Amino acid sequence: MTAPSIATHLLTRVYGSQTALKDVTLSVEPGSVYALVGPNGAGKTTLIQLIMNLQAPTSGAAEILGLPSTRIRGGVLNRIGYISETQEMPDSMTVAAFLNYLRPFYPTWDHALEKQLLADFALPPTRELRHLSRGMRMKAAFASTLSYRPEVLILDEPFSGLDPLVRDELIQGLLDRIGETTIFLSSHDLAEIESFASHIGYLEQGTLIFSEEMVALSNRFRQVEFRSHESATPPANLPESWLEIEQSGSHVRFKDSAFTTQERLIAHIRTIFSGATEMAFEPLSLRSIFLANARTHRNTRAQSDRGAAK
Amino acid sequence: MHVWCIACINTLVTPFPITIQPGIPISDQIVYAAKRAIISGHLRPGEAFPSVRTLSRDLRINPNTAHRAVTELIDAGLLVMHPGIGTVVAMPPDSSPRERTRLLARQIEELVVEACRLGVDQEELVGSIAKQYRLLTPGRLGQAGG
Repeated sequence: MTAPSIATHLLTRVYGSQTALKDVTLSVEPGSVYALVGPNGAGKTTLIQLIMNLQAPTSGAAEILGLPSTRIRGGVLNRIGYISETQEMPDSMTVAAFLNYLRPFYPTWDHALEKQLLADFALPPTRELRHLSRGMRMKAAFASTLSYRPEVLILDEPFSGLDPLVRDELIQGLLDRIGETTIFLSSHDLAEIESFASHIGYLEQGTLIFSEEMVALSNRFRQVEFRSHESATPPANLPESWLEIEQSGSHVRFKDSAFTTQERLIAHIRTIFSGATEMAFEPLSLRSIFLANARTHRNTRAQSDRGAAK
Repeated sequence: MHVWCIACINTLVTPFPITIQPGIPISDQIVYAAKRAIISGHLRPGEAFPSVRTLSRDLRINPNTAHRAVTELIDAGLLVMHPGIGTVVAMPPDSSPRERTRLLARQIEELVVEACRLGVDQEELVGSIAKQYRLLTPGRLGQAGG
């Protein structure tokens, strides 16, 4: 078995009285595209910064390319690419001067790839970085990072605030690197992520709720609708895996998060709603899966808060 | 190196209609779209099938997903890999009518179950099947109707 490109073990970060990240254990296989999703404030940036050793963990450990994060420096850094939403760059340099400046630091710098990226991204070499638009800046950051062919690429919200054309160009640049580079990114652009991520990790309030293959995730979620003439309100003790259960009149709708086969689900529904008819099952987009999880957790939290207040 | 020219653009296009829908595994969608293109004659035996890289770039999908779809189509006998040339659409297999029917048994059962659930009677169902047959395989109309 190959060693994971990134691994964390019970990674925890506490700021004062607030736990930003709690016992996160995950593993990112070489060559995969791992997308970290979750509501704002879920701890995505904290997790990335702990992996990159930009912060120290309160407890637990992170590893990148087989090395503890707290020990990454020098040679290993040349094998890692890191781009964040708020990328800092030497603003007074031109695009060409910036690339000239970086090139000698990286023994693996690929000159042909650099030229190709400049052309693909339509980057103006003679323009100063401070005069670049947000999209152009991000493209300059991508070109300067992809050019040294990092083994691991860590991207913190790379597409946020960018127009669809720029997003598409950046994704194209990433697609060409898939396989030789392990990609770990956080993003809210779920439609884009869905088509090229191989793995999804979902963070909520500092806790990693799930971490699995995109295909497995799509396969276990289904929107279910049926008619039931038995009662006007949903019965108690419904399975926990049924999210966002709604009933209006005889029409019942929910999202199953533990779907295996239609036969099994039909049998399961009939144990609770014996007269269920007109059942329909629809796959869910990553966006719908995200919303179902985020809403369910928010409601659970609100309920436990109310419980605590009593 | 990547140069923007007409020839390059041509090689980057997937030669059959496909729109990726969210929620359904993408490799399944490609396999289905390719099967549809092959049976409807949109892609003919011997014709080149897009490479993994072309599929990935054109559809903006993970190359591993594209690879999975191509492998599945090869395993199903719909594509053949010619080293050095690439992947091409295979000649239709010589299978007995009984064998072919057996391959469809599960889908037919599902279709009948679904039809019963929706209250579609046999005549209506057979009618829709015939209509769909005409739409997808205009060239084979004589055989299908015979």
